[in-house]
Amino acid sequence: MSNVTRTWKLNGKSVTVRAPAGRRLLDVLRDDLGLTGSKESCGEGECGACTVLVDDEPMVSCLIPVGQLPNGTEILTIEGIARKAAGRVIQQAYIECGAVQCGFCIPGMVVSSYALLQRNPKPSTRAIRDALAGNLCRCTGYAKIIQAVKLAATRLAKRTR
Amino acid sequence: MKNIEKIAFQFPATLVAALRLQANEKTRGKLLAGGTDLMVQWASGVPTPERVTSLWNLPEISAIRVLADHVEIGAGVTHAFLVDCQPLRTHVPALVTAAGTVGAKQIQARGTLGGNVANASPAGDTAPALLVTDGTVVLASQAGEREVSLSQFWTGYRQIAARPDEIIVAFRLPKRGKARERFRKIGTRRAQAISKVMAASRIRVEKGVIVSAAIALGSVAPTPVRLTQVEQFLAGKKLTPALIAEAEKLAQTTVQPIADIRSTAEYRRWASGRLVRDALEHL
Repeated sequence: MSNVTRTWKLNGKSVTVRAPAGRRLLDVLRDDLGLTGSKESCGEGECGACTVLVDDEPMVSCLIPVGQLPNGTEILTIEGIARKAAGRVIQQAYIECGAVQCGFCIPGMVVSSYALLQRNPKPSTRAIRDALAGNLCRCTGYAKIIQAVKLAATRLAKRTR
Repeated sequence: MKNIEKIAFQFPATLVAALRLQANEKTRGKLLAGGTDLMVQWASGVPTPERVTSLWNLPEISAIRVLADHVEIGAGVTHAFLVDCQPLRTHVPALVTAAGTVGAKQIQARGTLGGNVANASPAGDTAPALLVTDGTVVLASQAGEREVSLSQFWTGYRQIAARPDEIIVAFRLPKRGKARERFRKIGTRRAQAISKVMAASRIRVEKGVIVSAAIALGSVAPTPVRLTQVEQFLAGKKLTPALIAEAEKLAQTTVQPIADIRSTAEYRRWASGRLVRDALEHL
């Protein structure tokens, strides 16, 4: 076992963690730091429920050993996105479109939606499907989730005008 | 995942430091890049190694260079980075398409080209696209660098031609020039699916005649394979519907796929032919 100490910018704040280098980022977030918004479903990188942004890129936190995230890494979880104006717009759009049923996949869906809209403020349906292809939902059938991302994109475009 | 937490991780800051670790049996570790294959295997109960040498973020293996007649892609370059690289879209388009079919965005952001090749799965998405370039793998060790042809790199099921002290550092891939490339993957769904069959091709046609043809398939043999018989059959011939039909049939008789959890041998054989047809119909 090899322990590492890492200082990251997590949800905008400096956080120092000490953990075995091979400990999964997901376990550090949920169990060590109490950030339980990121969910574990498959544990093998298929479902996207544990998606977080690492230096602005969506990644599945169940496949990242924390030792591989150097000091200074910027991590944004669903808790951080919830405090951002764009995050709240996405959340409201999901609610209004009825895009949430059991809700377990939704934190990952919102993180992927947020990452997409940061990069591509006017995404096509194809681009939305591509961006969310790594997030599985067993309830909704996806149609309302895609509608929600479109609605959020429209509202965010109005706000920035 | 307690088993993964017991691994002794090493994080060399430079390639030189990584090569030094790998040179000595006592410090040599299982090489880990983005972890999109190995972390999954370890989580599912595959025995974990005692030591791991992390190659993630090593600057010396993370660059793309566009040279006069070839491109050089660092082994640490992620699929996401490949997908966004405009010059590669021009010079090795099949590889860019293939990288875009790996997993989904979250996996593309972590998985690396070197990792996909080293994992040596017959279903590795980038393998057929690499094979049709007639390129090489650049291996480094403390003794220096050497190049191995991609066509000789996968030596058997999940086996590669790298020595234990070597690290894959880059891929040298001739540009396509006037040839056209195509990549198609057949899977259960477009994202997150491991392929049933996939094909890459690099074919040059001049005045209706096939000047050169490189066609590679994945998931039909223990390693990714070039369809040399089909290639030789096509070379120098006029591209006609009859020729395409013959090439389709020849492809179906030359491949020897197996049945497994993802598909049947018959379907794979049939689809191999259809993919060859697809490549020839899009020239």
